[in-house]
Amino acid sequence: MTPNLHSHWFPIASSTDLVPRHVYQAQLLGREFAVWRADDGYVNVWENRCLHRGVRLSIGINDGRELKCQYHGWRYANRTAGCTYIPAHPADAPARTICNNTYPAREAHGLIWTGEHASGSLPDLGCFADGIVLRPIPLNAPAEMVSESLEGYDSDVFFLVQPCDSNRSIIRGLAKPSKRDRLDLLRYHNFALQELRDHIEGQAASQDTPEPLVPIISQVAAELVDLPVLHTIGRQADFTVTITNKETVAEDVVRLRLESLTSVLPTFQPGAHIDLHLQNGLVRQYSLTNGPGETDHYTIGVKREIESRGGSATIHDHLRVGDNLAISAPRNNFPLRRDAVRTIFIAGGIGVTPLISMAQALNVQGLDFAFHYFVQSETRAAFSQELHAFNEATTFHINLSPHATSEELTHILSDPNPTYHIYVCGPIPMLDATRKIAKKQGWDDEQVHFEYFKNTNKINTEGSFEIDLARSACTFTVSEGQSILEVLRSNGINMPSSCETGACGTCRCGVIAGEIDHQDVYLTDSEKAKGNTIMTCVSRSRSDRLILDI
Amino acid sequence: MLKLYDYELSGNCYKIRLMLSFLDVVHSIESVDFYPGAQHKSPAFLRLNPMGQLPVIEDAGMVLRDAQAILIYLAARYDSQGVWFPRDDPVRLGQIAQWLAFADSITATASVARLHDGLLYSHVDSEAARLGAHKLFRILDEHLYFCEQVEQTWICPGDQPTLADIACFPYVMLSEEGGISRIDYPALRRWCDRFKRIPGFVVMPGIFHAGPGLEASTV
Repeated sequence: MTPNLHSHWFPIASSTDLVPRHVYQAQLLGREFAVWRADDGYVNVWENRCLHRGVRLSIGINDGRELKCQYHGWRYANRTAGCTYIPAHPADAPARTICNNTYPAREAHGLIWTGEHASGSLPDLGCFADGIVLRPIPLNAPAEMVSESLEGYDSDVFFLVQPCDSNRSIIRGLAKPSKRDRLDLLRYHNFALQELRDHIEGQAASQDTPEPLVPIISQVAAELVDLPVLHTIGRQADFTVTITNKETVAEDVVRLRLESLTSVLPTFQPGAHIDLHLQNGLVRQYSLTNGPGETDHYTIGVKREIESRGGSATIHDHLRVGDNLAISAPRNNFPLRRDAVRTIFIAGGIGVTPLISMAQALNVQGLDFAFHYFVQSETRAAFSQELHAFNEATTFHINLSPHATSEELTHILSDPNPTYHIYVCGPIPMLDATRKIAKKQGWDDEQVHFEYFKNTNKINTEGSFEIDLARSACTFTVSEGQSILEVLRSNGINMPSSCETGACGTCRCGVIAGEIDHQDVYLTDSEKAKGNTIMTCVSRSRSDRLILDI
Repeated sequence: MLKLYDYELSGNCYKIRLMLSFLDVVHSIESVDFYPGAQHKSPAFLRLNPMGQLPVIEDAGMVLRDAQAILIYLAARYDSQGVWFPRDDPVRLGQIAQWLAFADSITATASVARLHDGLLYSHVDSEAARLGAHKLFRILDEHLYFCEQVEQTWICPGDQPTLADIACFPYVMLSEEGGISRIDYPALRRWCDRFKRIPGFVVMPGIFHAGPGLEASTV
């Protein structure tokens, strides 16, 4: 097969083949595709192969937002094909590199078009552009033979032959609109083409059958194979996005809609956040509030902080629709389990943002949850539209005193159940109170998942100590006033980071030996007690030496 | 209580399990070791069914064999609404009978290929069975395509599925275990999704649930 065929657009389905919540199976030039339409109308053309065990995704489940593999339940997002959830690892966020192969897709003239490397415009169909799509006729014969045999058929029909494999094709016809009854026309051509099919198949059977085409399954990306190169750069802004909408969704809360200028935005999972690089040089973290499958944009909710250090105030006062911003790819340090019998969300104020994304994911999957939203007043309740869509799952707790809040939390958490999980995000006093009450009522540390937006602890940077990098076989000194993260970076080790205040968990690193001086608010008390993980941006060593697992 | 002589991996037995579930009929199951025990050829079983085939039911003192016959009996006896086998509608009855016979042809082809590939039936011509199944699938796909054109959801006209759908479904859905791909039958694949969304649908090994349809969605 000449290689340039891979750059052509071919029809692989009729538009009407892609009914909602269905996965269509297609083949082009030997390669199989799983083709599905999301509820937002987007047509996905993917490699028909789960990254995990190679099972065909065409037997999977299209839930309107994501495609779930039938075998082990891995979920892949609409549009990006990135993995959003692995049921066997319910507490972990799947790596961003777990992403299925996607192929170009277009929908036009009642047909779905693709091509391994197709680009540019579709073939000009002239007066057939608005034609009636005939019933496709698959047949066991090479495409060239089929095309030749179609010459001389009715000139009122335009044919496109889909080369499925070396000896399998599909005849796709577009009939000129006419006065003839549509169904009558479909039946007439269906009958005539099936007769022709039998004739062509007879002809093909009398010849040697060509060997099936062998599609090239792409290799693992080079950046995953090679050792990483040395970096000295810190927080990176991977993408440029444009603000396409800015609206006030509650008192002092704006919602920004961000769209990519050039490419598809990377996959996010519920609970993920991005770094926003503002024009004034500040870097701020915001949780994505998108529901599952909303992959053509990101949305974030930003509250104007009274004591704004220039982040939220800049966003509120100066950013406008049309402005460009640099952002990082989403990171998920607050992953959502989907194996809980019931999930309890506890949101305080603007802490609602990561939880709104999580609850939407559970809602779409039909999983059981309760959403408690503590807020000062009704006018300050953001995302009320989404929250009302959860119906009776949502409870608003308006303008409660700290004491009343504690009482309400005690009531909500009164029934510790080992199959339930709690996700809490909000102001620090409320977070602390929730964790304390949960512990008192008998909830396990591992059932209470929380995210602090900031770390208000005063960070102690006194004292100097050594760090041994066990895998890299290097030793460095962290002097007074320096952080481990800074020392790693200045020695060319690219440790990822985000908030750099001990709240977000991005710069987490394994510790093999040494006594850690934890100063972050990310780790749970039991994780801190285990002493095998450190937040390198703020935490230090009590012992002279820390052995790190890098 | 109705008793079903059953083999878990049999598509024909699955037809009966589907019907019993759709009609919510209380029943007991007697497992027959079809493979490797060949219990369906044992003297004890042959006294029940001289054909030596599954499924067989016992109900109110009567013994009945043949999947299609059992479907008709169950619908006539337990479906008071007459939905699955509309006794008063000669046209649809005729059509249902036509597709029940068609389902038997699917068993004679697609099921045979599966027995060859999956249960080591070495004495059958699996290549001929596959070719035969593809011929039938072409006919059923064409039929279902034109059903969709007139917004007909099921094999026979009417708002509800009938015995025709139950009889055809199992060995279509299991065809890939016999090396018969359904990639060329998009209308057949869509009908399989619709069938799986019938309330009361149950699975068997190799056949999974569909996700919720758009109309059942909470969003």
